[in-house]
Parts: sequence; structure tokens; C-alpha cells
Amino acid sequence: MEQNYLEIQQRVRHYWFKDGIGEIAVGGLFIALSLYFAGHHMVSPASNAPLYLNLGLFFVLAFGVVLTRKLITIFKMHITYPRTGYVEYYFERQFPLPVQILLWAAGVLFVVLLVVIGRWVGTFQWLPAFLGVVFGLILFAFRTTTSGLMRFNYHAALSVLLGGGLSLMSGISAQYSLSWYYGVFGAWLVVWGVGILATYLRENPLPEGGADE
Amino acid sequence: MSDDLRSVTDLDRIIHEPARLLVVTILSGVVSADFLFLQRETGLTKGNLSAHLSRLEEAGYVKIEKTFKGKFPLTVCKLTAAGQKALSKYREQVQNFMKKTS
Repeated sequence: MEQNYLEIQQRVRHYWFKDGIGEIAVGGLFIALSLYFAGHHMVSPASNAPLYLNLGLFFVLAFGVVLTRKLITIFKMHITYPRTGYVEYYFERQFPLPVQILLWAAGVLFVVLLVVIGRWVGTFQWLPAFLGVVFGLILFAFRTTTSGLMRFNYHAALSVLLGGGLSLMSGISAQYSLSWYYGVFGAWLVVWGVGILATYLRENPLPEGGADE
Repeated sequence: MSDDLRSVTDLDRIIHEPARLLVVTILSGVVSADFLFLQRETGLTKGNLSAHLSRLEEAGYVKIEKTFKGKFPLTVCKLTAAGQKALSKYREQVQNFMKKTS
């Protein structure tokens, strides 16, 4: 009985990932970050542009995260809920404002720490590998603790390999490597997401007459 | 027969019914779920699911709300604290019984 109980719980958790919308949205955010770092790479270091871009990173991230959450809700509202139903999960609930501020402060502190370490070491060449491992570990933990879906292992593996590979390439700037990391990983997530969404739409046509009671 | 084994006769009949057990198990892992999701997951007909949800609502185990998500009408079901407690007790009783008899 306990096994059945756990299987049902797992099945309900899988439902959030069934449509691939989360991957498409996060992939889109990563592509935006890729464009940001590409812009960084292209502007002249002698101008004021790099300074403005550095300051803009916080806004790109904040705006990107909020927009990603909104887009996921909108797409799920129009695509998923009418087809297979609405579920509200505990992890979808907004944190209280003090916790949100604390999380953002921790994020900013983390970025500052990376910059300090980079300056101290004298190079940022290690950054893509570091990010690759961090995202890889997050995705792997996500697969084991929350989703149980095998595809998150593939995402984790790509993140580690891509980040490591870009760090090993010599002669390219850190911004250029980061642009490639976010661009390729973002495109990978979007392609997976679109594939999963296409399967989902094929398997779940809109119910006739609505199923709400 | 020990009291542990005899306790199986005290099982909550409202939750013990397989369809209702499935519904409360699904709802125990989420904040809320709508009628369509529950129908798809349980494989029950609309009428059957409605009847089971009404029974659970009467017992105070499930709260049913008619609401809107954007412009879509939804019938959202939530497991109440009493429902959560009843499910936990039911699982404990069944586990104890299985342990003693295996």
C-alpha cells in the first residue's frame, strides 16, 4: 500500500513537467542571458557600456525570473489546464516578501563572491565549468528528490560537459564562453520542451464540452 | 486476536473505499486540484467522481470551491486538515495490520 501511495504522489509531481512548458520558459531565460553575455563580449571595453551592462545584470535576472514565472502560468492556463486539469503545488506558492528579499540578497552576494574570486585568481576561465557543475548538481538533485524524470539527468550531464568543455577552450573571453554556455544549454532545453509539448498536445486533445463539473 | 489486528475493523469507511482513497491520496500531495485532473487521474466518470467528492465533503475531508483561473471556470478540491489527519491515521492502521499479518 505504501508503495502505491508513493507512486501516486510521484505521478502527481510528474504532472507539472508533463507539458514541457517549464523547460521552454527556462530555456528562453537562458537564451536571453546568452544574448546579454554576447552583448558584453561585443561592446568596446574602453566605453562605459560594460559598466552599464554589469549593473544591468541584476535587472536582466530579476525581470527574466519574474517573466519566466508569468509565462509558465499563462501557457499552462491556456494549454494544460483545459486539457488535463489544474493542480496547484506547494512549490508554486510565492515565498513571503522577507524570504524573497533574503533570497535575492543571497543571489547578489553569490555573484559578488564569484567576481571577487575571479579577480583574485586573475581569470574567469573557470566560470562556465563552475556554473555547469552547479546547474548539473541542481538538476541531478531535482531528478532524485522531486521529479524522478530521467530527462533531468541528460540536462545535468549536458550542463557539466558543456561548461567544462568551454572552460578548457583557451583564447576566448569568459563572457564569450558564458554566452555559448547559456545559448547552447538554453536551446537544448527549448528543443526538449517543444518535443515534449508536441507529444503532450498530440496525446491530450481538448475535451469536448469541457470537463468541469 | 490482538488489539492491533482488531483495529482494522475501525478503519475509516469513508477513506477505505478505493476511489475515495485514490482521491484523498492525490490531494494529499498538492495544495489543490481541479475536477478534470482528478477525473483523469482516477479514471472515474463525472457522476461517480462527483458522488465521491460530495461524500468526502460531507465528512469534512475535502473542501470544494468553484473558482476561476484567469477566465477558466474551475472546481477546485482541497484536502482539509481533518482529511489529512484521517488519511495519516488510515495509513498507519493499514501498515500496522500488514506488519502483524505478514
